[in-house]
Amino acid sequence: MKPAAFDYARAATIPEAVAAMRDGARPLAGGQSLGPMLNLRLARPGKLVDIKRAEGMRGVALSASTARLGAALTHAEIEDRRVEDVTRGLLPHVARGIAYRAVRNRGTLGGSLCHADPAADWVTTMTGLGATMIAQGPAGERAIAAENFMLGAFTNALAEDEMLAAVEIPRLSPAARWGYAKINRKTGEFAMAIGLVILDGPWARVVAGAVEAPPALLPRAAAALLAGETSDLDAELAERLPHLSPADRKLRAVSLRRAIAMLSEAR
Amino acid sequence: MDGDGGGAGIGARVLRKEDARHLAGRGQFTADLRFPGMQDVAFLRSPVAHARVGARRASGDVLFLDDLTGVADIVTRSSIPGYKLAPWPVMARDRVRYVGEIVAMAVAANRAAAEDLAEQAEVEFEPLPPVASCDAGRAEGAALLHPEWGDNLFLHSRFDSGIEAVAASAPVKVELDITCARQVMHPMEGKGVVAYWDHRAGMLVVHTSTQVPHLIRSGLAEVLGIPQAQVRVAAPDVGGGFGYKCLLQPEEILVSWLALTRKAAFRWIEDRREHLVAGANARQHHYTLTAYANEQGRLLGLDAQIEVDTGAYSVWPFTAVLEAAQAGGNLPGPYDFRAYRAEVFSVATNKPPFAPYRGVARPGVCFAIELTIDAIAKAVGREACDVRAENLVPGSAMPYVNVTNKHYDSGDYPASLATVREQIGLDAFRAGPARDEKGRYLGIGFATYTEQSAHNTKVFAAWGLPLVPGYDQAHVKLTPDGALEIRAGIHTIGQGLETTLAQIGHSMTGVPFENIRVTLGDTATTPYSTGAYASRGIVMSGGAVSRAGEVLAGRIKAIAAHLLQTEPDAIEFREGRIHAGNASLDYADVGRAWYLRPEQLPEQVNTAGLEVTEGYKPATDNGVFSYASHAAKIAVDPETGIVEILDYVIAEDCGRMVNPMIVEGQTYGGAAQGVGTALFEESPYDDQGQPLASTLIDYILPGPTEIPAFRISHTETLSPHTAHGIKGVGEGGAIAPPAVIVNAINDALATLGARITQIPATPERILAAIAEAQA
Amino acid sequence: MISAPLAVTLTVNGQRRQLLAEPRTQLADLLREQLNLTGTHLGCEQGVCGACTVLIDGVPQRSCISYAVDCDGAEITTIEGFDADPTMATLRQNFSAHHALQCGFCTPGMLVTARDIVLRLGEVPEARVREELSGNICRCTGYVGIVGAVCATARGCTPQESAAPIAAAALAAPAVAAPVENAAPRAAQPLKGGNSLTETIAIAAPPEQVWEAMGDLPALAACLPGAEITEVDGEAIKGRMKVALGPIKVAFAGTGTVRLDAATRSGVLRGAGRDGGTGSSAEGELGFALAPSATGTPGGTDVAITLQWRLTGALAQFGRSGLVADLVRRLAQQFAANLQARLAGEAPPAQPAPLNLFQLLWAALRARFGR
Repeated sequence: MKPAAFDYARAATIPEAVAAMRDGARPLAGGQSLGPMLNLRLARPGKLVDIKRAEGMRGVALSASTARLGAALTHAEIEDRRVEDVTRGLLPHVARGIAYRAVRNRGTLGGSLCHADPAADWVTTMTGLGATMIAQGPAGERAIAAENFMLGAFTNALAEDEMLAAVEIPRLSPAARWGYAKINRKTGEFAMAIGLVILDGPWARVVAGAVEAPPALLPRAAAALLAGETSDLDAELAERLPHLSPADRKLRAVSLRRAIAMLSEAR
Repeated sequence: MDGDGGGAGIGARVLRKEDARHLAGRGQFTADLRFPGMQDVAFLRSPVAHARVGARRASGDVLFLDDLTGVADIVTRSSIPGYKLAPWPVMARDRVRYVGEIVAMAVAANRAAAEDLAEQAEVEFEPLPPVASCDAGRAEGAALLHPEWGDNLFLHSRFDSGIEAVAASAPVKVELDITCARQVMHPMEGKGVVAYWDHRAGMLVVHTSTQVPHLIRSGLAEVLGIPQAQVRVAAPDVGGGFGYKCLLQPEEILVSWLALTRKAAFRWIEDRREHLVAGANARQHHYTLTAYANEQGRLLGLDAQIEVDTGAYSVWPFTAVLEAAQAGGNLPGPYDFRAYRAEVFSVATNKPPFAPYRGVARPGVCFAIELTIDAIAKAVGREACDVRAENLVPGSAMPYVNVTNKHYDSGDYPASLATVREQIGLDAFRAGPARDEKGRYLGIGFATYTEQSAHNTKVFAAWGLPLVPGYDQAHVKLTPDGALEIRAGIHTIGQGLETTLAQIGHSMTGVPFENIRVTLGDTATTPYSTGAYASRGIVMSGGAVSRAGEVLAGRIKAIAAHLLQTEPDAIEFREGRIHAGNASLDYADVGRAWYLRPEQLPEQVNTAGLEVTEGYKPATDNGVFSYASHAAKIAVDPETGIVEILDYVIAEDCGRMVNPMIVEGQTYGGAAQGVGTALFEESPYDDQGQPLASTLIDYILPGPTEIPAFRISHTETLSPHTAHGIKGVGEGGAIAPPAVIVNAINDALATLGARITQIPATPERILAAIAEAQA
Repeated sequence: MISAPLAVTLTVNGQRRQLLAEPRTQLADLLREQLNLTGTHLGCEQGVCGACTVLIDGVPQRSCISYAVDCDGAEITTIEGFDADPTMATLRQNFSAHHALQCGFCTPGMLVTARDIVLRLGEVPEARVREELSGNICRCTGYVGIVGAVCATARGCTPQESAAPIAAAALAAPAVAAPVENAAPRAAQPLKGGNSLTETIAIAAPPEQVWEAMGDLPALAACLPGAEITEVDGEAIKGRMKVALGPIKVAFAGTGTVRLDAATRSGVLRGAGRDGGTGSSAEGELGFALAPSATGTPGGTDVAITLQWRLTGALAQFGRSGLVADLVRRLAQQFAANLQARLAGEAPPAQPAPLNLFQLLWAALRARFGR
């Protein structure tokens, strides 16, 4: 099970990476999702360009309201809080649940987001946080809201010559609370359902993840949460996830209710 | 001698001789072997389940069947009446019959380049209607895999001791429909073979990851049409077998053919996708059961229809119908009843051939009979554990011949059940809450089983196999410096025979454990054994080592007595030395006398010296029956369908334990595979015969968080038939978990009226069962 | 095709090595085949089983889904490189004492992971040890001895100091993304069974006009980018269809047939094609029927589409390909939007989205109409 032949180059800078992509190279970050597909010969790129070592791809920059994380930071670096956490522990918690430690040591935040597997953790988390994706292309930087980044299973909003350079994550306030409930059969395996709830003062978000499509924001549930009311989660899920069977929707409702229940737990 | 272990003999919990090299990363598996000029082989495999194969084209070093000379099909004969032959071409001839069947072989300097060549080959497939299930195979007008058969049945077998009288009169009747998924075995090391031509010896040398090197030699010689003396088969370190590696495989033949004809070195290492889609298929049974009982739940009779989704061909040498024989023969389990009828259909399907996986049919039959016992208990409104206990063959009835003529040699089955009942805390559980603080439903399940082990000539002859095991042989030798060499043709595949055979050797000869070396699994250096399967190694090869060791001990004593100027009867082996009264010798003194200082030998010394080869099989070789009861406490999340195993206890009896640590390791490992069978593992196919799991993301192997911390207890009821009272234990652990866990799930879900009769009990199936019950 | 080998410099078990490797060479294969460090085992090459785990720059990683050239400059430690490591020495003793190995195949990767657990976390509860070990599969031991050995080794240990935090710079101005549209997406129809899809597209034009428009094949084709028709002969067509599922890009070349019934304004087309790269094949059947709209615009048209498709070969056997359903849904939606736009006299917007199997069938339709 060895890959079909491909060429490889390492980009020292983001413009160099973008130039390679313009010439048809596909980006390689940690390769933890791409690798299996290469080995299975399902993915057959002519050329890969390593973008994870490009200057700035592992940077961290902080402002009063956000943290900007380079796309090539690894899950493990987030898990270990080597990257300053501005999310009251949400990012490290999510990171620890991604696959296995050996994968987290190489797999990157940006790579996972771009791979856009519906069942993966970061797409749901970033949607819940209202994060902003910073893309770099020939024309320079472009900001894309997380909820517009994943278009569908394995499909993101980047053009062929664009790459994800960083993710900007809004700071949660010290009073913020969150619940993240992932249902899966086996530790580290793909989720059957993800429920994410974030409550931060006057701001709340409720997201159903792992829905075989981009994660679904549930604004009515969020509004109800802020008002201290219970919402008709099932009805909203039925509207938002009509492609799922009732049983599959029920599982997402379970994950959401569990995430909501986590809010009241001491943190 | 027996028991004079000095802390390392039979019964001692000694650490393994195998460990050091593996811990250092210096084990030597097939893929680790290096020979000059070795080339890699990759295969082009059929993407379709059933097709006529038309034109074939390729460039580079790619071979099709027509390019091979002198290679016969794999033909697995059986003496069972009605069994149909399914010759298996080593590469596709005019038809392919499963996805993954080999169509072309590519050779290149490395694996990646060989895969490049293989995928560039062009082959025309003209699709034929696929047979993707037993139902499809048995349907009126079904497409035929082997048109000359007239149907799709390898065999339709029957057991019938008469059921009509019981059926007419029994007050309680229970019906069940039970399904077991197709599984793939997944030793962590897949299959692999390296072959080269030894010019000096004039011999084909095949290093292959196998449980049965001597059998493979016979098989290779037959298919390649060369004398057995021209073939050496040696098994290096084997990274798990579980049954997959006791078969002669097309890849083994093809790589050997390359070495034979090109007189160079070639290697093929199975990858995980090949393993998942093309090999190691097992377990897929379907049962339609009617059980009859009295008002107390006493099982009176069982009427069964069993279908085995056997795949396209018959594996060599175990045939496509070993599974059926085991299923029909073992379904009655450890239970005492006399009315039994079973019809078993071994259905040919467009899937990879069925192989004998750890437990061979018994995880399925145990699942079926144990669910039946629980269903009977429910029908009569009693505690399932009580009903189970009353139906088990009691210890007082031993030895007991059951309705299918299994000779249960010894043991107390109800006592083992009582042990796990106590340990799992059934009575306290029944008095406690039915749900936990998370709202999960709690349940306890039980199963008791027998593990026929070391069944031999009589049994395999009756199963019609082309090769019937007989005497297993071992060779022991005292070296000039007083060490003991043990050689046996069986192989160690993780079960620790380098350690346990040394323990037996130590018990028999007194040579210090650390001075004993065990060499296994090489036709050039070890005496004949049919190999490691059917939980037979420690009984058969252990028995042979015991017997050879006993003979050698006598010869050592004769020489030692002469050196010490006493009688052999006065000699004792103790603390690593040879004693007579206050005088003592080192083993090296005896070795030196025979090899280097023959002038010191007695005049009547046995001229065979300090080397002994002996064969062994138990006088009664119907098999000896290890047994165990398992119990589990589980929690079912009714919202997600996820099952957590909260506690799992095992009370096992495998006769005399040579090394309790290894017995436990075998049992835990088997039980972990059983948990996989129960909850996770499934190789689904679509209706076109496409396998849908080609990665370990699709096919879930349980990891450390899915496997419970097993608790185990032992009893030792010695077998009356075997050396030292030993019984086999390699497979048993895998047998009970599906039954135990699903019985526990059904216990938990009883209040919801839901019931699971299909494994694996996935979250989807559990949620569906709950939804159905609530509808 | 063989890509030129590249120079790779690695420090392996303390020794600097200058090597050549094809870009596709897995780190594990480089270690095993070029350096003869065969203690690193390949168990799945899918990143799941953990047998190939080695240290790359001091932390455990999979050497099957790390490529040698992508490790250029790294320090690698394999199981053969721990002979002077005291933690590994204790682990080895405990693995033997707890019977934590049987066949030994998973053992090297298991030890590399176990050492990381002991050093990184120190003594932690058994449940945490199990969680941390979950990326390494053992098929022999049931994990009893492994968990016991790791717990015994970690007993009394405190976590080693973690690596330094990654220095943060000041971020002047946060980025602003375009505002989020919170409108609910168009409802898609549920999948029926694994491999079939029913979709009804409401189009605001009468059936006669839609039928006619669908006959204007080149224009219809523009609604679904990516397909290429190479030959049309009566009801038979030949063509190519490019499909993308994330990094998996497939080009099915194949043939199809189309049967249309103008009286009922319905049709069936069948297509089949093969992708040389993955060795996968696709075949499918598409039925469609136009009817006066029941739910949409009065006087409009409902296009009822039933689609069945079947994959064969590697693509079918790759589990995540179940997600192809999501692509099919999105394509159906795009197609509807574009067709509607076309009927309204607008040029279909450019569609950057990848094609899929659904489009294979529509490509066949397009070809038929193009006669």
